[in-house]
Amino acid sequence: MTTPVLQVNELQVSYHAHSGVVPAVRGVDLEIAHGETLGLAGESGCGKSTLALALLRLLPPTTKVTGSILFAGKDILTMRPGEVRAIRWAQASIIFQGAQHVLNPVRTIGRQIDEASETHGMNRSGGVAELLEIVGLGARRAKDYPHELSGGQKQRALIAMALACDPMLIIADEPTTALDVMIQAQILQMLEEIKRERGLSMLFITHDLSVLSQIADRVAIMYAGRVIEVGAGRDLLREFKHPYSIALAASFPVIGDTASRRNPRGLVGDPPSPNDLPSGCAFHPRCSVAIEKCRSTDVVLKSVSKSMDRRVACLHFGGQSD
Amino acid sequence: MSWRYLLKKVGGAFLTMAVVVVFNFFLFRIVDRDPLAKYRGRSKLTPEQRETMIRRMGLEGSKWDQFVVYVKSVFRLDFGRSFDSTQPVLEEIKMRLPATLLLVGVSTLLTIFIGLYIGTKAGWRRGSRFDKASTSASMVLYSTPEFFFGMLLLAFVAGRTGWFPTGGLRTVGADHDFVGNILDRLHHLVLPMLTLTLGYLGSYALIMRTSMIETLGEDYLVTARAKGLKDSEVMSRHAVPNALLPSVSLIAISCGYIIGGAITTETVFSYPGLGLATANAIQNNDLPMLQALFMLASAAVILFNLIADIIYAFLDPRVKRVE
Amino acid sequence: MKNSDRLIRAMIWDRRRRAFFGVLRELRHDRPGFIGLLLLTFFGLFALAAPLIADRSALLAASGRNNPDLAAPSAKFLFGTDEIGRDVLAQLVWGSRVSLFIGLFATLVAVVIGSVVGLVAGYAKGKVSAVLLAIDDFFLVVPFLPLAIVLAVVLGRSPLTLAIVIGFTSWAGSARLIRAQVLTLRERAYVERAQALGAGSWHVIRRHVLPGVAPLIIANATLIVPVAILTESTLSFLGFGDRLSPSWGKLLDGAQSSGSITINAWWYFLPPGLCIIGIVLAFTMLGRALERIFDPRLRGR
Repeated sequence: MTTPVLQVNELQVSYHAHSGVVPAVRGVDLEIAHGETLGLAGESGCGKSTLALALLRLLPPTTKVTGSILFAGKDILTMRPGEVRAIRWAQASIIFQGAQHVLNPVRTIGRQIDEASETHGMNRSGGVAELLEIVGLGARRAKDYPHELSGGQKQRALIAMALACDPMLIIADEPTTALDVMIQAQILQMLEEIKRERGLSMLFITHDLSVLSQIADRVAIMYAGRVIEVGAGRDLLREFKHPYSIALAASFPVIGDTASRRNPRGLVGDPPSPNDLPSGCAFHPRCSVAIEKCRSTDVVLKSVSKSMDRRVACLHFGGQSD
Repeated sequence: MSWRYLLKKVGGAFLTMAVVVVFNFFLFRIVDRDPLAKYRGRSKLTPEQRETMIRRMGLEGSKWDQFVVYVKSVFRLDFGRSFDSTQPVLEEIKMRLPATLLLVGVSTLLTIFIGLYIGTKAGWRRGSRFDKASTSASMVLYSTPEFFFGMLLLAFVAGRTGWFPTGGLRTVGADHDFVGNILDRLHHLVLPMLTLTLGYLGSYALIMRTSMIETLGEDYLVTARAKGLKDSEVMSRHAVPNALLPSVSLIAISCGYIIGGAITTETVFSYPGLGLATANAIQNNDLPMLQALFMLASAAVILFNLIADIIYAFLDPRVKRVE
Repeated sequence: MKNSDRLIRAMIWDRRRRAFFGVLRELRHDRPGFIGLLLLTFFGLFALAAPLIADRSALLAASGRNNPDLAAPSAKFLFGTDEIGRDVLAQLVWGSRVSLFIGLFATLVAVVIGSVVGLVAGYAKGKVSAVLLAIDDFFLVVPFLPLAIVLAVVLGRSPLTLAIVIGFTSWAGSARLIRAQVLTLRERAYVERAQALGAGSWHVIRRHVLPGVAPLIIANATLIVPVAILTESTLSFLGFGDRLSPSWGKLLDGAQSSGSITINAWWYFLPPGLCIIGIVLAFTMLGRALERIFDPRLRGR
């Protein structure tokens, strides 16, 4: 078996706040193979964006990160700062959410893209112009400032920037959130094509499960800092097993089904605050099938099928209730 | 930068200056009913001399007539004659302007560079020992009247050590060659310059620090670090250019304050510039001189603001295409 | 008064009292703010205790007739004497009242003008707002020290005039701040609802907008006081003010013009200078702490 592009073992991330240590990620294992796309889904606040930043050690220095994050077999958590910088963007880049202020307002798009390749000593023959053409923006846009682009254009520019150093892995953090459905579909299709042409691996983070069916080979669902269900994309998205996954899927309206739009089912209540997590299974207060034991038993991921691929962290599966 | 933006800002500056001119008339001719009453030598005037002075000061006829005469004279830069020296005010100002420009210019530049550097570094390393020390120091500097710095320097540096002259523009009666003359003037400039710089350093450093801390929360700095940039590059290329933006207009306004600071500093060091002239004019109730100095100070600040608006448009592309 | 009115009034006062103690509690955890409060208490007591420390007659020119001029500190004169033999300590103690009075009175003037202009400019629309903004712009741009100087020359040199002049020249910034806050407040649901229910403008401003901007006004006022005190000391140093009831700035003027610096009579110019620094620091630290407490976005500054 070849070394995975990214392998995350027992990742724990905790912030220091006034109220004490706040766990944001609580023991996550992930693996992404060459050319594979892993979809990572969950509500906002479940720790998925923290995880994305932790992968490249971009969290504030006061944050505590333990476990291991292996890029091509080497642990980024034990590297010296210079080595970490060499990994950033060259081996793994991030497509940030364009709706936020992730582009510097006083530098042109071109300079910001160019800066990435320049930093890593890569002089691409086509340069910025080629990258902008790839994402369908047109080379002329290089001279524009971020405020001159629409939301969709900004997202394309961010994708071009993520490709600047030919990385092996792209971490896409909600790249289509806040875009309208038409543009969302265009961007997803473009990402899919780019990924296929370049043989890229991708970690695709979203709160919208419906997006994943289009792009993810495998899917992991996160809740309260943990992965609670993981499996092959088609398999998992066809039939969710964890009560949270089922509720999350049900909370999105099904296209074409007007009834579901008018009356979204599924999740009741708010996700738990990381500094006040429920005991046992963190989902039990919102779970419709919770039993007494869920309050006290800390559940872990267990295989539920013979293929070993599908794993669920729930007492009702994998014989954990015994 | 669009022409429209430029035109709007220049127009605004002229409008503000026009209001200053009208305000000046209002204050010195209407609020103050008898400006001549403040002229000390008035009791010795013969009736003819008095007539001449009233005519010269444009105090004849109705208020409207006076206003027309006043506006005309402002356009000719004719501010009348000083009550004190009886010389034309414009000549007095011209004579003293270079000394103040040198003092204020050099200290403003020093203040901007040192203050922004300290503020940038403190904001970037927020909570560090440097930040704590420099912020405390900046607070104390900010809380100190600049002339008190002058007095301290005079008493404890010039007085004790004798390394620096205690006042004036140059050594009176000394016979220097060209280079010696320059050195002598610089020698006299050191303490006043230090006074003004210390007086305004604190507020510049605090402004820049706040601005820097605000910028540090921005998402694009995470983007820059994610791209593999070194901390120093993230700071110089992404944080500082953005943090400077809000500082530009604040600094322009405080450049105007420094003109005020020069008044007391020049007084402490008997440095014969416009500041000392202002202090003397206050002592002598020299209305024509004060009017002119007030208009000059206002014009300078309005100009600084205009320059800041133009610089801002160059630094922030978002301004350029705003119609 | 109806019973229900009394109840509502009591509730309002209870809420205010609790808010006040809440702020005090938060101040205890904000170190600079707490130090500022302590310093301020010290200067306040200093000013209140003036008659206990020195007799007011020590300020009179005649009081120094039999004393040595510019004498160094001694058992009789803890802070030495000035150029006409008056006790420096007495002038320092009584000067604290003058400096504080001018600083506070000027701030009152500035806050009243600034609040009215800010509230009206933020609440009214159209021409009224535009005109007020233009006036505000003018006062923001015109250099305030030269403006204060010409005003004081024309209007008079007494401490009260100085206070009014200083207040009149330093309201523009707070008007701007308050206007911005009012603009965000008027979008809030409860203000819109009150308007929809037909409440008059003044009622809405008094009952709904003013309580919303009050914390901002208080924090801002606390930051105007130190600037006013600094401006006062500058103007006094330049010759305004009253030599027989000197503020700390006026004392520095006396120290400067009497040549105390040349002969290094440090007891004359150091104490008033340090007092100015202390009181300005105190108000500034407290004001910045109040800003942090009232506006959580500023935490960690």
